[in-house]
Amino acid sequence: MLGCIWQYVYTSFLRYWLKWLIRQATGTCELQRICSGYKPGATRTTKAEYSLRSSKNKALRGALDTNKDQLEQCVDQIMKVKNVKPQKDPLFKESLHVCLLQITGYNRLYISVEDLRKEVFSSENQEHEATLLKLWDLLMPDVKLESRITKQWGDIGFQGDDPKTDFRGMGMLGLINLVFFSENYTEEARQVLSHANHPKLGYSYAIVGINLTEMAYSLLKSGALKPHFYNTVLGTPELQHFHQLYCYLAYEFDKFWVAEEPESIMQFNQYREKFHDIVKMHLQDPDVSLTLTVRSKN
Amino acid sequence: MGLLSILRRLKQAPEQEVRLLLLGLDNAGKTTLLKQLAAEDTSYITPTQGFNIKSVQSSGFKLNVWDIGGQRKIRPYWKNYFENTDVLIYVIDSADRRRFEETSLELAELLEEEQLAAVPLLIFANKQDLMTATPASELAEGLNLHTIRDRMWQVQACSAVSAEGVQDGMTWVCRNIAVRKK
Repeated sequence: MLGCIWQYVYTSFLRYWLKWLIRQATGTCELQRICSGYKPGATRTTKAEYSLRSSKNKALRGALDTNKDQLEQCVDQIMKVKNVKPQKDPLFKESLHVCLLQITGYNRLYISVEDLRKEVFSSENQEHEATLLKLWDLLMPDVKLESRITKQWGDIGFQGDDPKTDFRGMGMLGLINLVFFSENYTEEARQVLSHANHPKLGYSYAIVGINLTEMAYSLLKSGALKPHFYNTVLGTPELQHFHQLYCYLAYEFDKFWVAEEPESIMQFNQYREKFHDIVKMHLQDPDVSLTLTVRSKN
Repeated sequence: MGLLSILRRLKQAPEQEVRLLLLGLDNAGKTTLLKQLAAEDTSYITPTQGFNIKSVQSSGFKLNVWDIGGQRKIRPYWKNYFENTDVLIYVIDSADRRRFEETSLELAELLEEEQLAAVPLLIFANKQDLMTATPASELAEGLNLHTIRDRMWQVQACSAVSAEGVQDGMTWVCRNIAVRKK
């Protein structure tokens, strides 16, 4: 209760007086102090995001929803409002620009990811079909698929003889993540698949992959991935960065599963939750970087 | 009724816990149904690896609903969840004619199980929102349900996505637990 009152008093009054006082004393605005006080990455960008969001000035708050091509104009506008002289603080403009690219880019990334998720896998769409067959060829280079509808799909961890129903709530996003991992980390993907096909410790490679896509998606949606992207992409995060994050989850989950030696696949959700908690714990660290550290072909 | 028995009944007031088992082939809609029962969002569902469980309050019962993955590979584990089941709910994708035979065989095997003997059976003829769905009555005929004589059973047309028919099915479930538990 006391904490609540303090929080209210602080955000509505004290914060402004404090900012004004420091501004008078140092001659720099809060954004300048953030940009010069912290190295590029999650801490700087998160603080800048908070500062802009709680600003009383429309131009500053509006910066959070600005289009990419209007960002430079927007930075100039902020510098004008805050009376920042480029000669006095030459690094500020670029620093703030990068912060804004990261902040607005995260929201745009969510929109692109959501579009892919909503794209339903369709057997009538040749591109979808080709992507699915590509997944097979990448994972099983020595085995030919006997027909489009076949029990062989079970060998890479789909449930039945036609994978199309397994994509469900994750749509094309699930398939594209699976293909991205197999294409860019072919050796690692095949190694994970061989663990998944273990007779006792095994799991269903493809549907666990789709499940991990759901994990990545909901982390992105909740904003939990911000520190990761702010640290790893100094600019606009793109779809490929999201796919990279999926690769990290797929590889790390397999490592975790093999190390934990669950009794059977029926324990999956319990271990998934445990793994989810570990990932969320990593994301609390301001220096977090969830990158798969093996050599990539790209 | 004496005072003691009234007190005893009051003491029993904490609602009865009931175990419901959701089974069916993969992609029948078991998890969607589970989420619908728990009033959760059904748009982000992925194939069930293992099982999901949720508790739902309904008509004075605490329903513990067990949703077990339906893929062939994990069907051998189904039997680990049979014990103490109060009602078996079998879900069928009414639009997937190609697999009617497979689902009918799985159901027939379940009805042979000793641990499930006399357990009431509710069959959800799911996905009635799809144009290609087979009507529930036709499905019942195709599955030869009229030959079931060793238990209470009911076929209920529903759409787990739109929730249509789900409540009717659950009402039947609650009525038949009451009969069984007495």
